[in-house]
Amino acid sequence: MPPTPFTPPAPPETRSRSPFKLAGVFASAVAVALAMTACQPLQALEPAPEREEVTTASLDGKTIVEGGDLVMALSAEPDRLDPTTSSSLYTRYVMQTMCQKLYDIDASGELIPQLATELPEVSEDGLTITIPVRQDAVFADGAEFNAEAVRQTLDRHLNLEGSSRASELGPITSIEATDEYTVEITYETPFAPLTAALADRAGMMLSPQALDAAGENFGDSPVCVGPFKFVDRVPQTSISVERDPLYYDAENVHLDTITYRIITDANIRAANLRSGDVHVADTISPQDIDALIQEDGIGILQVGSLGYQGLTINLGNTDGVGEPVGTIDTPLAQEAAVRMALSMSIDREALVNTVFNSWYQPACSPISPESPFTSELSEACPPFDPEGAVALLEEAGIETPYEIEMQVSNAPDTLRFAQALQAAVSEEGAFSLTIVPVEYSTLLDVQSRGDFEMLQLGWSGRVDPHGNMFNFLSTGGGNNYSGYSVDEVDTLLREAAQATDDDERAELYGQVVEKIQEDNPLIYLYRVRSLTAYTTNIAGVETFADGVVHLSNVAFIENEGAQP
Amino acid sequence: MIRYVGTRLWQSALTLILASLVVFIGVRQLPGDPALAMAGEEATPERVEAIREMLGLNESLASQYFTFVGNLLRGDFGESTRTGTPVTELIATTLPVTLWLSAYAIVVAVVVGILFGVIAERFRGRWPEWLANGFALVGLSVPNFWLGILAILYLAVTLGWFPASGYVDVASDPLRGLYYLTLPAIILGTGLAAVIMRQTRASMIETMSTDYVRTARAKGLGRGRVLMRYGLRNSLIVVVTIVGLQLGGLISGAVVTERIFALPGFGKLTLDAVFTRDYPVIQAVVLIITVSYIVINLAVDILYSVVNPKIRVGGAN
Repeated sequence: MPPTPFTPPAPPETRSRSPFKLAGVFASAVAVALAMTACQPLQALEPAPEREEVTTASLDGKTIVEGGDLVMALSAEPDRLDPTTSSSLYTRYVMQTMCQKLYDIDASGELIPQLATELPEVSEDGLTITIPVRQDAVFADGAEFNAEAVRQTLDRHLNLEGSSRASELGPITSIEATDEYTVEITYETPFAPLTAALADRAGMMLSPQALDAAGENFGDSPVCVGPFKFVDRVPQTSISVERDPLYYDAENVHLDTITYRIITDANIRAANLRSGDVHVADTISPQDIDALIQEDGIGILQVGSLGYQGLTINLGNTDGVGEPVGTIDTPLAQEAAVRMALSMSIDREALVNTVFNSWYQPACSPISPESPFTSELSEACPPFDPEGAVALLEEAGIETPYEIEMQVSNAPDTLRFAQALQAAVSEEGAFSLTIVPVEYSTLLDVQSRGDFEMLQLGWSGRVDPHGNMFNFLSTGGGNNYSGYSVDEVDTLLREAAQATDDDERAELYGQVVEKIQEDNPLIYLYRVRSLTAYTTNIAGVETFADGVVHLSNVAFIENEGAQP
Repeated sequence: MIRYVGTRLWQSALTLILASLVVFIGVRQLPGDPALAMAGEEATPERVEAIREMLGLNESLASQYFTFVGNLLRGDFGESTRTGTPVTELIATTLPVTLWLSAYAIVVAVVVGILFGVIAERFRGRWPEWLANGFALVGLSVPNFWLGILAILYLAVTLGWFPASGYVDVASDPLRGLYYLTLPAIILGTGLAAVIMRQTRASMIETMSTDYVRTARAKGLGRGRVLMRYGLRNSLIVVVTIVGLQLGGLISGAVVTERIFALPGFGKLTLDAVFTRDYPVIQAVVLIITVSYIVINLAVDILYSVVNPKIRVGGAN
């Protein structure tokens, strides 16, 4: 037994404390605090508070101050401002004020006409779509907006080299302007997701005059029909637009200019909003939102996303996406029971509420409950049953804990979620996750090449479920990173894309979800909430389920804060 | 002399060719595919293939390299794959931002560093010295990103003294431009100011204990006058050396500062280009930095040889 160490007597209180001792006390306090926070287990939470959708900061009852320059902080830099080639979601934020679409969505997520005057008329056989368009619209360069301009734009979307829109428009055989204000689109096979596609970038109409002049450089100075027109772009810094006097509804446009400033850091966006340097900021972090809500002079819009975040499990992506599927000889890839066990061992609600302060929503399917195509089947969730998961693994003869390598993006929120997930699924000893943080561009590459066992990435979501499912789950789909290939799912997805009745489509998509939840090539985890903050000296900001912030009708208002 | 300059020029050209090769290959060794980064989440194999074709990434490495060098020789750095903006335009707009920021940060660092250094020497063992030392400790140990966020929160958000972010071109509107750059320059200059303060203090303590200072004091010169005329003047040599040595560090530190304050500078351009695998931009940025190092070294070598003929090739002859 070691001798008891000598303990020096406590110093008399009158003696002055040496700085070293003070430092020691401080260091001990820090160490204890760190140890306590490090050892804190995941706590069971109270149920998440109900989050009401707030899509609009209404102008009703407000006194509008005409004019003013609005600044919006954008969380990422848009790519080229060309609706045909753009693949950045942030480009939609900017284009939305300059380039109106044939259709749009409203606060309830329903499709409504914008540059079209009615929803498309579909022929009996589903092969011919007729779209009437506005007669009072003019492009910002004075060119007339008519059916021929629509034909020319859609033709460019279909045929320009490097177009990102071609696949969204489906198997079109011809586009014709049947009269000055009517367009007729003919299909090889029926294609129901067209209207939703035309409510996104594929529906943005481009000035024929500008297209002739700029050709493939159209994105350097885009010209469309919209409340605002392009002024300039300072790379990495800002994009400016100004009020377009030729716009058909110009009397409802109140601002003189809008400047989109690129501020990528969420903390800095929030700070700029507080200081009044910007009036609107997108993608507020769940870590900042509670504090922002408490502040005077700041309002919040919140709407659930149509997209999802999930775990993609590599079942057969051996030679890269789009290539024929290969064989991966691991229990995770081969046995649905292992994947089912993984899904069952995830308490989505607790995880999401803990990591994202109850701001995001747990998700079990690619169809958002906010979507008009939601159904009982698509809203069903596998049970959280960790003991059942262990039993399932034992039944399958799998040794526990089953080890899985999970690649994730190194963004702080994602990493935090991954660590919580790692802790949660190991609690009953069913799984042991190894987290491999990877920079975002590399993760895209890894995903595409199939160089992963499991990875966590998301999808921003489209209005029509076709855009959220077909490419991800059908054999050979352009985003089928899992290498999932099941005939039954392929057939259901094809039928759903061709059906013209919405209820029938919702039913078919529900059946796909049911099958996916059995096979689990993708384990859906949660849906983000689009959180947009604005200063209360403005009103008229809107954000809908597609996550795009609409600024077209924004105005500065009287007596509510800072000057414009 | 001509032979020496010729040799150095030839060596510099060779270094440049090697650098272009290293940059070209190095960029392509980065994990991640620029076509995929460009296609983003909407990447489908067809779209990625189309982008590869458009960017010429399907060609052999040798062919891509010769195209790259051929374009370089015509002064064409290509276009950003992300925004389609010509790279020369990007550099022309971002480089001045970083140069203004760095220059302003140096001014802040030199003024603050020397002031605190002098105070620390003048009031040795008393509270002003502790204050100055405390400043140096904070300046050296607190990372820029944290200091930057704190500064935004207190000086911009709470007090409203400065804008929280943004940039106004200094050349076209000097007053507003400098006002917008003040907070970033203070943050960027803090670390350097701390180094200058410590060195000034040490150097002045050393100078003030030399015989000639003692003699000057003995002859009746006031302490303040000796401090400024002899102590500080001699310490400035050290300050100039430090500023020269820290210049590179300052420009690389600008990457973080530019990101925090959303300044459209060279550092932010580089960082964004790496994240989005924007090959033309990364290549141009690295090459420009390489060329500036080569040119500076070449100029220094030639100047040395002018000053000291022994350095020239075959100087013994």
